[in-house]
Amino acid sequence: MIEAVLTGAVRGGTSIVFAGVGETIAERSGVTNLGTEGSMLCGALTAYAVGIETGSPWLGAIAGIAAGAILALLHAALVLWRGANQVATGLAITFLGIGATSLFGQDYVSQGVEPFTPWAIPGLSDIPLLGSVLFDHDPLTYLSFAIAPLAWWFLFRSATGLKIRAAGERPIVLSSMGIDHRPVRWLAVAIGGGLAGLGGAQLSTAFARTWSENMVAGRGFIAVALVIFAAWNPLLIVLGAYLFSGAVAFELELQARGTDVSIFLLDAIPYVVVLAVLALMSRRRTHAAPESLASVFDAAA
Amino acid sequence: MTVLRRIAERPSVRTLGSVVAALVVFAALLVAKGADPISGYRAMWDSITRDSGAFGDVVVRTSPYLLAALAVVVPARAGLFNIGGEGQLVIGAVTAFAAAEVLDQHAPRAITLVVMAIAAMLGGAAWAALAAALREWTGTNEIISTLLLNYLATLLLGWLVFGRWKDPTSTGFPRTRSLTDAERLPIIWGRVHVGVIVALVAAVVVWLVINRTAWGFKLGVLGGNAEAARRAGFRTGALATSALLAGGALAGLGGMLQSSGVEGQLRPGIMVGYGFTGILAAWMVRQHPLKAILSSFVLAAVAVGGNGLKIREGLSAASVNILMALMLLAVLGWGGARRSAASR
Repeated sequence: MIEAVLTGAVRGGTSIVFAGVGETIAERSGVTNLGTEGSMLCGALTAYAVGIETGSPWLGAIAGIAAGAILALLHAALVLWRGANQVATGLAITFLGIGATSLFGQDYVSQGVEPFTPWAIPGLSDIPLLGSVLFDHDPLTYLSFAIAPLAWWFLFRSATGLKIRAAGERPIVLSSMGIDHRPVRWLAVAIGGGLAGLGGAQLSTAFARTWSENMVAGRGFIAVALVIFAAWNPLLIVLGAYLFSGAVAFELELQARGTDVSIFLLDAIPYVVVLAVLALMSRRRTHAAPESLASVFDAAA
Repeated sequence: MTVLRRIAERPSVRTLGSVVAALVVFAALLVAKGADPISGYRAMWDSITRDSGAFGDVVVRTSPYLLAALAVVVPARAGLFNIGGEGQLVIGAVTAFAAAEVLDQHAPRAITLVVMAIAAMLGGAAWAALAAALREWTGTNEIISTLLLNYLATLLLGWLVFGRWKDPTSTGFPRTRSLTDAERLPIIWGRVHVGVIVALVAAVVVWLVINRTAWGFKLGVLGGNAEAARRAGFRTGALATSALLAGGALAGLGGMLQSSGVEGQLRPGIMVGYGFTGILAAWMVRQHPLKAILSSFVLAAVAVGGNGLKIREGLSAASVNILMALMLLAVLGWGGARRSAASR
């Protein structure tokens, strides 16, 4: 049971790790992107389609990153260039992603892709419990282990990361140094969308190994919610993503074992867990929010 | 030329131009898909103008969209984002059905319907109250909480429809019993039910309340400048909560209109997409309750037109989401009054 839940947490949480880390970078620059869900969908379909056409899931993943980033750039264009409201734009972007992947994904619904296959790491994968939880996964999942520390280093130790955080906290500081904060935000939003696209690619070509309409099913929104839980720290995103997908794995395990409880109530567990955790932590987390993000959440004008 | 320019600068013209641009981009995407955009648009047009019944479908579809939009408008006035219209619609349909079950056909039609409507509004408000309470007591952002509550509402509906309320005589897809005539909204024309008038009245009432009452004024102050509202001695927490509850009640009513006016029973997926479409409708008109009538109608026409795309052109039903999203994006970016360069 424990092994199944932990393995499921990692396997199912990987796509959310990518998307959540990406959204953390975008929000650190001062831009919220509820279009993350849409970027994941576009990444999932593009990776799947390119994977089928070229026979290479790797090319698919790269195309997925590009697709997610392109959709996010549309968000950036509206928000940063046209001054549109971030929340409304993000939701419209997700709507666009749902529609576009439904339209262009029709032909791929029953097709099979050459999927990413698990690489069991020799030796390590034989360790009891830890082996199957951590060392018997597809290559994108191994990549996800590295992405959070990389993003942390990028945000807190690199010059670009410093600019991104400055753009999110006090853009005026950047202006006083002669740096325009807007290109920095464009970059952060594009990185966020690219990572969401990669998360979608992992979902369709490694996790589910199939394409179905709207298959991201809210994971992108969960990723956005987790950014608050993680207090805008990419390392904590991993914890949140595994908590959510661990809860999913737990309730699926209960269903598999047969229980009298309705599957609908079991399906509610992961969402209740995320809501409860957010409620418990929100008070403390609000202070961690990048300062210029506050204007997004406060003004619905 | 200056005359032309002045016309082009008018907010209504800019908005219209944005919508036309969205239609053009959608046509380009249809071409990319290998479909014929001309015949696609003709299929959409035909499916909303084929006969009076088809046009009636658009009118009927307008009412839940409009109430879902109003559910965004009122909280937005107070600076709050209600993304939970989807869930509040579902809960409204559920509590209206529960009220019908409790009355058990013992009350006359008028009373039954009024009780169902009140139950729907209370249900929607209660669902929004969860988000309001989380915001008030724990500081949880309402965008996130209302979003997550949508999933829980859908699961609750599934639990009831697959469980306690499942019609034992239903084969295949699970659903509840059919509502009786006394539990269904009266028809005024073709398939158009009285709920359409209810929705229009709701829009006018929201407009009046927002612009003509002290409560509406306070919401505006809170939304405009929370610090000013606090200094003025407003109870900002209670104000924000009341705005969310009012929004939830409006969406809940929309759920009842749809279940009692159109569906005649509950089934899983009864409200899928309605709440989010309402958000689009509200933002297309910058949360103006009366203009939301028009945007809801336009989106309803697009949605019903989508049936034509699906049936005649064989394109997926969700394809029209593209057109809806493009319309909102175009209006957000280029519609309405010309604004100074982006400040964010």
